[in-house]
Amino acid sequence: MKNLLLALFCAASLSAASPEVTQYIETLQSKAALADPAFEGFDAKRGEAVFTSEHLGKKGKTIACTSCHTVNLASKGENYFTGKVIEPLAPSANSLRLTSAKEVEKWLRRNFNDVYNREGTAKEKGDVLIYIMTK
Amino acid sequence: MKSLLLIPVIATMLVGGVYLMADDDHYEKGNIKQRAAQLPVSPQQQSYIKECSSCHMAYQAEFLPKRTWAKMMNGLDDHFGVDASLTAKDEKILFDYLQKNAADSKRVGKHFAKMAASAGDTSLRISDTRYFKKEHRKIPQKYIDQKEVKSIANCNACHQKAESGDYRERGISIPNYGRWDD
Ligand code: HEC
Ligand code: HEC
Ligand code: HEC
Repeated sequence: MKNLLLALFCAASLSAASPEVTQYIETLQSKAALADPAFEGFDAKRGEAVFTSEHLGKKGKTIACTSCHTVNLASKGENYFTGKVIEPLAPSANSLRLTSAKEVEKWLRRNFNDVYNREGTAKEKGDVLIYIMTK
Repeated sequence: MKSLLLIPVIATMLVGGVYLMADDDHYEKGNIKQRAAQLPVSPQQQSYIKECSSCHMAYQAEFLPKRTWAKMMNGLDDHFGVDASLTAKDEKILFDYLQKNAADSKRVGKHFAKMAASAGDTSLRISDTRYFKKEHRKIPQKYIDQKEVKSIANCNACHQKAESGDYRERGISIPNYGRWDD
């Protein structure tokens, strides 16, 4: 089971994330397993919920990841606070996405704080990255 | 499908390019050399532009004094209500860049100098300086609130060359209003 998950995971990652981002996701996987022994691997369906659900954000306003990135990850988004255009988040539409672990880490830290008003857990971050990779 | 999508993108790029060239012909003759001379951008400036232009345009360091930038850089995790935090290493690079290029660290143009000289001690905004308010007081609020501008902090919505540091009146065009003739 674990091997199968890993194989699926590698197949998806080969096409959608760079080796260093894949490595970052593996670190998240170890952390998630450590936090919860019943953890069975990241899940795009859960990631979709992380991405589309609304929360009371850092600014005290109801906001979701989709407020800036839209529900169609292959299209351009717009910064909810400043109006600046955001290039598509989907690796299939924007080859620069999920290529730098440093960028991914930085934006997940910021964006979870803005939307959830707290850091994301390893499980939430992994789930949402797997979800983005399927787009 | 992919190439179909590409057509409008390329078309927009072309139109954009022609527009820029036409604009250059009208307004920027003779300025090309000057711009080329400014070109070699230091690695510090490159980092500044990369990191500080992801949510809005990169505001010129020359607009504010050292003390304001220092305060801003020490509170990036709550930057106007959003998280703009950096790694400690990048934060140091940008801190130094802003200190070195602030209005009170070198000779700057008169608009920059006036902006920085009228900065208060509580607000970190360029748009809260006295000189800024005076220059923008005649703009009807509806042109600022409209979706094409959204906030007075979006300098480049009206100042077509804001990103290159050019705020001269002939480069101003307010969406759905046009050129500003004062
Ligand atoms: C307030 C607007 C905003 C919200 C809300 C937001 N993001 Fe972002 N996000 C951005 C911006 C801006 C960037 C960087 C822009 C760029 O690189 O073009 C970014 C970048 C990213 C990246 C980096 C991708 C890469 O490799 O370049 C990821 C991943 C990401 N966001 C995920 C999320 C997730 C998950 C959420 C919800 C928890 C979220 N975003 C909510 C604005 C937002
Ligand atoms: C994660 C998004 C984000 C990043 C990254 C970011 N900012 Fe901002 N910044 C904002 C928001 C949101 C505002 C408020 C905009 C508004 O009121 O329209 C703002 C406003 C500002 C203003 C005030 C504009 C005015 O009204 O005069 C300055 C100056 C500024 N930022 C400088 C910086 C600098 C310097 C950096 C890089 C260290 C930076 N910003 C990075 C989101 C960001
Ligand atoms: C809604 C459009 C709009 C926005 C947004 C805007 N400006 Fe302006 N700005 C103007 C107009 C119009 C004038 C000319 C006012 C006049 O001369 O009566 C002006 C004048 C100026 C001047 C003086 C130029 C001169 O030659 O007299 C400076 C400097 C300036 N703006 C900087 C900024 C900066 C920096 C920002 C962003 C923080 C900004 N502006 C945002 C419309 C705008």
